[in-house]
Amino acid sequence: MIRTYETVFITLPTMTDEEERAAVDAFAAVVSDGGGTFTANDRMGRRRLAYPIKKLEDGVYTRFLYDAESGVPKELDRRLRISDKVIRHMTVCMEPDWAVASKEQAVRDAQARAEAEAARAAGLPVDESEAVRGASLLTDQAPAPPVRPRDEDDAEFDDQE
Amino acid sequence: MGMMRDNPGGGYGSRGGGGGGRPGAPRTGGRRRFLFRRRKYCKFCEDKARWIDYKDLRTLQNYIPERAKILPRRISGTCATHQRQLMQAIKRARNLALIPFTSD
Repeated sequence: MIRTYETVFITLPTMTDEEERAAVDAFAAVVSDGGGTFTANDRMGRRRLAYPIKKLEDGVYTRFLYDAESGVPKELDRRLRISDKVIRHMTVCMEPDWAVASKEQAVRDAQARAEAEAARAAGLPVDESEAVRGASLLTDQAPAPPVRPRDEDDAEFDDQE
Repeated sequence: MGMMRDNPGGGYGSRGGGGGGRPGAPRTGGRRRFLFRRRKYCKFCEDKARWIDYKDLRTLQNYIPERAKILPRRISGTCATHQRQLMQAIKRARNLALIPFTSD
């Protein structure tokens, strides 16, 4: 049965661009060779980790979104675990309606990026905000959470800490 | 002592007429705590969210206070279904080092 899977993995920040591309392509080949079809192969960008992993503070996030049989993520998981260039990885099997929405979003992002690329090639001023938002889901830091009004319950919650 | 128990219907009893409480009753805790509190509601239900994405940090940040714990339902007002999805999303994001397990 074909399902939609999303795999996110974090690679070493110390690699050069070529090394990184080679590594990612090798993993992408696992999916393609297994009969999977890609919807998105995104480099989400370099990001500071929330906590150190293997004494590293940074990591490069890559996301695969693909439809495949269940053997494909299993094999990909095995490869990712063996590779010493990958410091963390996770695969999620997506619920049908989430999968549909994610794929549509991925297509929109790809289009936005292509348009931005074309505009840049033509030497036009690029509306960065639109393109960058699609391309780097993670690199922009989330704004500070809004201040919640204090309730009595909050104090109770604080006590537990 | 303490809270007035004359009116079981809530904290509104002491306003307006009705004598304004027993003479000499201690008015400790004079904050009218029930008057200005807004009703809590599930923000995800409002948006008709069918799932919660673990990569959507802007949303998740709202539910992890300073100590990076998951904000309980009794405070945020999230419904049971969405709190469960939120928990799942936060735990996934933690595994990918997108948000911390704890911050000092």
